[in-house]
Amino acid sequence: MLVSYYFYMNWKPIYAVLIFASTLITYLAGQGIQNSVTQSRKKTFLVASLLVNFGILFLFKYYNFFNTFFFDVLDVVGLRMQLPNFDLLLPVGISFYTFQAVGYTVDVYRGDIQHENHFGRYALFVSFFPQLVAGPIERASNLLPQFRKTILFDYHKAIQGLKLIVWGYFMKLVVADRLSIYVNAVYNNSEYHGALTLITATVFFAFQIYCDFGGYSNIAIGCAKIMGFDLMTNFRRPYFARSTTEFWRRWHISLSTWFKDYVYIPLGGNKVGTARNYVNLFLTFLISGLWHGANWTFVIWGGLNGAYQIGNRLLGFKIRLKENLTVHRLETLFKMGITFVLICFSWIFFRANSLADAMGIIKRILSLEGEFFVGEGSSFVFSVLAICMLVFKDFIDERNISTRISRSKAYQYTLYALMVIVILSIGVFDGGQFIYFQF
Amino acid sequence: MKKFIIVLLTGFVIVAALDFAVGSVLRYFYFTGDSGINYRSTFSMQETKADVLVFGTSRAYHHYDARLLEDSLRVTSYNTGRDGEFIFYQTAVLKSVLKRYSPKLIILDFTGSFEYSQADYDRLSALLPYYKNHKEIRSIVNLKSPFEKYKLYSHIYPYNSSLLTIMLGNMNVNKNRVSNMDYHGYVPLHGIHTKQLDTLHTPANYSLDENKVNVFTEFLTLTQSKNIPLIVVNSPSYYLYETDYSLDAARKICFENRVPFIDFSRDIEFLSHSDYFEDETHLNKIGAAAFTQKVIHLLKNDEQFSKHLKNLKK
Repeated sequence: MLVSYYFYMNWKPIYAVLIFASTLITYLAGQGIQNSVTQSRKKTFLVASLLVNFGILFLFKYYNFFNTFFFDVLDVVGLRMQLPNFDLLLPVGISFYTFQAVGYTVDVYRGDIQHENHFGRYALFVSFFPQLVAGPIERASNLLPQFRKTILFDYHKAIQGLKLIVWGYFMKLVVADRLSIYVNAVYNNSEYHGALTLITATVFFAFQIYCDFGGYSNIAIGCAKIMGFDLMTNFRRPYFARSTTEFWRRWHISLSTWFKDYVYIPLGGNKVGTARNYVNLFLTFLISGLWHGANWTFVIWGGLNGAYQIGNRLLGFKIRLKENLTVHRLETLFKMGITFVLICFSWIFFRANSLADAMGIIKRILSLEGEFFVGEGSSFVFSVLAICMLVFKDFIDERNISTRISRSKAYQYTLYALMVIVILSIGVFDGGQFIYFQF
Repeated sequence: MKKFIIVLLTGFVIVAALDFAVGSVLRYFYFTGDSGINYRSTFSMQETKADVLVFGTSRAYHHYDARLLEDSLRVTSYNTGRDGEFIFYQTAVLKSVLKRYSPKLIILDFTGSFEYSQADYDRLSALLPYYKNHKEIRSIVNLKSPFEKYKLYSHIYPYNSSLLTIMLGNMNVNKNRVSNMDYHGYVPLHGIHTKQLDTLHTPANYSLDENKVNVFTEFLTLTQSKNIPLIVVNSPSYYLYETDYSLDAARKICFENRVPFIDFSRDIEFLSHSDYFEDETHLNKIGAAAFTQKVIHLLKNDEQFSKHLKNLKK
């Protein structure tokens, strides 16, 4: 726990107070819920915990956004007044540890887990350094029992962890940071670029964000594994999804399951009428969009993905063709392609600097005009190469292709040593920052 | 645990061996390249013995016509400018040059900003291949990050992201690429700028990056310590500006060190000729010729320089 706090305080020491406050409040709420006899008293503790934690999150992350929005609306009807905005730096990882701590409180309230009496152990659960700043958002039912056990060094876990760390750094330095060079050059000057360039940048961004976030998750999970702890898988080769519903079972799994368990299901989930179910889905994704950032682009991104889920249920893509391997493969490829296009379209909103920029980008893509921008030649080549290497590895993992040679120690040593060499050769070491740190 | 440590050590040995092997190959081909941006850097730092050296960014190597300089002044010249490389790179090259010989005249084309920019530090990567054998540049390279000297234990790291440029540098076809057709480091541009003259508004005031100011001053004092005449020039751009804090700072530092600072940014001839430019910040071949002639005229008519030029020709 001390190491985790030391890790966090390396960024901005004073903000450790916030994570401690969140820990203390949810710990006391959990204790209060456990010790309460009546349901109304339990609810009081739960509501208090939610209000305080989400209140802190709102203040740091959403206050300025809603303040500006609210008074823009008033301005439209002729009322000119505004409260001042706050100039507060967003604490790193606040969205992650808040959700993790709040999830704990709800689990205790529901009776899914017992309250953790040992404060130090609970504080470690909230602040566990591998997943503190960018997830995975862990569940108390998974992590707390592991902290209660005596952990002995596990050789196989440690090797798995090491491999995950190397692969995570590959995803981050070779793929994500390389692609970001082109994406930033295009998206930060989108009005000057043509259709093909914007499409390329959008596809690059799809892989950039996957590898940035997935890479960090792998590093976090790998670190925890070396120490003997199992964190949940956060990404499962999302671009192999054959529908947007399946995409969300493969993408940021810890967040999507959190929203399912703590927002969608309490709203009624699919145990209500169809129309209400669609509303629940849409709302859940809308809020998920807002979680990513205080900007209308994120809200629209969330809403769009919500619409995709509804569309999936309404249309339910089913092809009934003769059972034939080639046809089946083509069908799979077709579905993957459509899903990828839909997801990429939503990424435009996620990445664009503003709503106006996003609309401008879409308009220019649809115009099918403009020259193709390559930028720095070798960086573009490395970008394409990096995506190819990523897709190849993901394909091997997706199809679970394993041979006697690939299972041999010599092969494993060579493969991961080569990964390190590739990282040193074409990884980007300058100025890369994890995208999800901003959440 | 023991088995895990053995695996770690074995992995480390394999990586180190591969790093050494691949790094050595990259190093070999980097320094055998005979064209391209890396070759010009190597030539600048390790080979040139030209009388007149031009330092700067891409504006330097596109703006100073080496043939004109040589024919008019009857000297040899070399243009050491490199894309996007501000005073850190320029001073490092100067240090490497001064280790080997003293040029007779140095022209420093001032382009850049004294405002802190991480990108300027990141671009020090261009000097990494020279770190091992050029101790004189290490203090500048180490500005990149406090861990740079440790990263440089890797043999591959100095050539990070250079694989393609290294390959191209060793291919004959590279010499025929327009961007590589240089004459003593000068690369002419052929495009014509058609946009209207723009005005850059004064940015918010910023504090000067101490490292950049110190290194710029070091450039001036190094040349003075070797009694090498130096002229600092702000070559023409096709835009107007209200205030440029960095330019003002450079002018002041030059004045304090008694180095001539010639500013062409408000020269009417260039501001009224968009056809001299390929874009807002780069002169094309015609503009470079006109500008070089102006510089030559200045050198010939300035008492300090003309005396020195006479000595050059002896």
